[in-house]
Amino acid sequence: MFYRLAGIRHTSYAADRALWPAPVDRVQIAALLLFALAAPFLLPNLYLTSYLLPWIIWSTAALGLNLLMGWAGQIHLGYAAVMAIGAYGAIHLVRAGVPFEIAIILGGLLSAAIGLVFGFAALRVKGLYLAISTLAMQYLVDWIISHVPAISGGSQATLQAPAFRVFGIPIADDRARYYVALAICLMVTAFLLNVGRTSFGRALAAVREKDFAAAVIGVNPYRYKLLAFWCSSLLGGVAGAVLAFCYYRAVTPEQFDLDVSIQAVAMVIVGGMASVIGSYLGAALVLLAPIVLNNLVGALAHALGLPLSADVLSHIPLILYGGLIIGFLLIEPLGLAKVYDNLRNYFLVWPFRHARR
Amino acid sequence: MRKTTITYAALAALYAASIVPAAAQDKAPIKIGTALDFTTVYTFVTAEYSQGQRDYAALINARGGILGHPIEISVVDTGNQPQRGIAAYERFKEEGAVLCDFLSTPVSRAVVPRALADGMNVITMFHGRSDAADGKVFPTIFPMTPAYWSQATSIIKYIDDQEKGDLKGKKIALVMIDSPFGREPLPVFQELAKRLGYEFQSFPYPSPGNEQSAAWTQVRRFKPDWTILWGAGGGQSVSVRDAIGNGIATDHLASVIWISETDTNIIGADQTKGLLRFEGVAYGKTLPAIEAIEEQVVAKGKGAGPADKVGGTYYNIGAASIALVAEGARIALNKEGEPLTPAKLKNGLESIKDFTGEGLLPPVTITADDHQGGGRGRIDAWDGSKWVPKSQWAAAYQDIVWDLIHKSAEEFKASGK
Repeated sequence: MFYRLAGIRHTSYAADRALWPAPVDRVQIAALLLFALAAPFLLPNLYLTSYLLPWIIWSTAALGLNLLMGWAGQIHLGYAAVMAIGAYGAIHLVRAGVPFEIAIILGGLLSAAIGLVFGFAALRVKGLYLAISTLAMQYLVDWIISHVPAISGGSQATLQAPAFRVFGIPIADDRARYYVALAICLMVTAFLLNVGRTSFGRALAAVREKDFAAAVIGVNPYRYKLLAFWCSSLLGGVAGAVLAFCYYRAVTPEQFDLDVSIQAVAMVIVGGMASVIGSYLGAALVLLAPIVLNNLVGALAHALGLPLSADVLSHIPLILYGGLIIGFLLIEPLGLAKVYDNLRNYFLVWPFRHARR
Repeated sequence: MRKTTITYAALAALYAASIVPAAAQDKAPIKIGTALDFTTVYTFVTAEYSQGQRDYAALINARGGILGHPIEISVVDTGNQPQRGIAAYERFKEEGAVLCDFLSTPVSRAVVPRALADGMNVITMFHGRSDAADGKVFPTIFPMTPAYWSQATSIIKYIDDQEKGDLKGKKIALVMIDSPFGREPLPVFQELAKRLGYEFQSFPYPSPGNEQSAAWTQVRRFKPDWTILWGAGGGQSVSVRDAIGNGIATDHLASVIWISETDTNIIGADQTKGLLRFEGVAYGKTLPAIEAIEEQVVAKGKGAGPADKVGGTYYNIGAASIALVAEGARIALNKEGEPLTPAKLKNGLESIKDFTGEGLLPPVTITADDHQGGGRGRIDAWDGSKWVPKSQWAAAYQDIVWDLIHKSAEEFKASGK
């Protein structure tokens, strides 16, 4: 009823291969895109700068990590370090006079190069062992950043993001920063929406399912594992640079510590492996749920006049947040993307229980 | 995706609707936003600090507010995450706060560029960027208390006084956490080593400091005359315990400000007798300000937390922060009239002169150039049940401190271009 699929027949290969074959999905995507473009004019500044902007940047990062974890099946516990390399690289390049557009790509390439080195570990080890060797990357990068003043920016270990321009337009206010982040997020999203349909994406899937089986059918697992690390680190580096320039406007080592890596992994797992929409939903839950829960609990306690200490009040949201994550994973181990998919499948044939295939 | 957007819009609307209007008062409240870390890293200080802030605000309100304006403090948790601090900051701004407090170095650092751009006042008592003392470069950031560099000079001054001004050939060890915070005082100790002729060596231990034995065996080999601790949180009690275990006398062991009666009681109140520390805000219940809080706030059941914490180290730091802000607001309202804006409050804070907060503070004088407030502090010692001052309120070697402040502030200015 809602999706009105009756009578839709694809008469060309192009139509059949479309990203969203059902018109209702296309309408949904168009509406969301329009909303995203108009958001700076619709939303109050508070919601734009402290909810929507970090959300799209973190979604970009989650998409990059999802390419590695979801599509290629390799775990990475040092993704924040990858982002840090991109952020520091891009900031130092812009300070040295390189234009922002180029600096952000070079920052990404720098992340990709260093990420690739750690990707070599993946050729030898899998699963938990790979988790530990990527964890080493996190510690190494953290240590180097905080011990080399030339990178971290002196005794206070903070570097401000310099003023920058994109295609000659100075990016000075929150709206402009939002559009820069949105543009990059859309590019990354478009790449990941399509990656599954390319030979590259299929090769990654083959490697993910069983690497030696992939080798048997002619997919070189070494090459594709390394490519997956390279690609994912590139996207992570770019996301880190966007985070530094458009959101934090300054970089400090703490912004990219182990907690952040774990949050990124949580975004991918809670959101859903190998799912674009899952990356968005996962980022929303992991990033925004603590803020929203905190505000809700605070407001509720205030409204009901509960005499709770600030200490207790700030731990209740943590309990709820943990409960939420466990709850979602218990109900649907495949992540929020699967929850969305279940809903969609239900309404696809509503009011019937299921349709004839 | 759409579903989440709608959910968040609904949640946001729910929250917006549930904000309760401020208690009816004859004049508009002065809003202060505090986004603190109750749950992650700064747990050792936050609860008491926030209690002190709210109790002092309650005291001001019980006395009729600041020229009739009550102080209203909103408190949220950031979990030490910069993005949550930024979200809280934007909300405070929206709600009309004139001043914010984050009590977390990472969060303050993330908020500083925004606060500078927006002209919002941020207080960074004993944390954050030390170079924010340079009011010319950081017009709206107010440390108001001795920077870590000033704490280092004060500790050395005390040691110098104890050694009757002769530090030649003496050995001083710095045992510090291996982080930017731990390394921050190094240039001060090195410069003073040149001036005073003591032998200086630093011994870093890995963050977060649960395991420090490697550093302490090296300290033992170095045989220091004086040992200085530079850490915070759980690592501090490990440091003191390891120091005692390695035969270092507690009365020759001095810490940066982050050690309190909680730590000494954990290690053992008797074993830690004699332990020295830097103090920037007076400790104890016998100060006029704290006595007034006990009488007018706590005794009436309006205290914001457990009564036995009143007068504690971190409690008093919290109380002192609001005392300074209230004094700034009073001057601003007197001088420039209503309504109080962030810009007026900034001028008010910069006009604070020789303010002692009824015994809480050394004389603090803040000017447009000096947001450190003079850098005065003292050394006190643990006597088994309380902290006893061992020296007078004074600032030491401020020339070194200001050289570092100016140099670092210039770097900050250059990095934003």
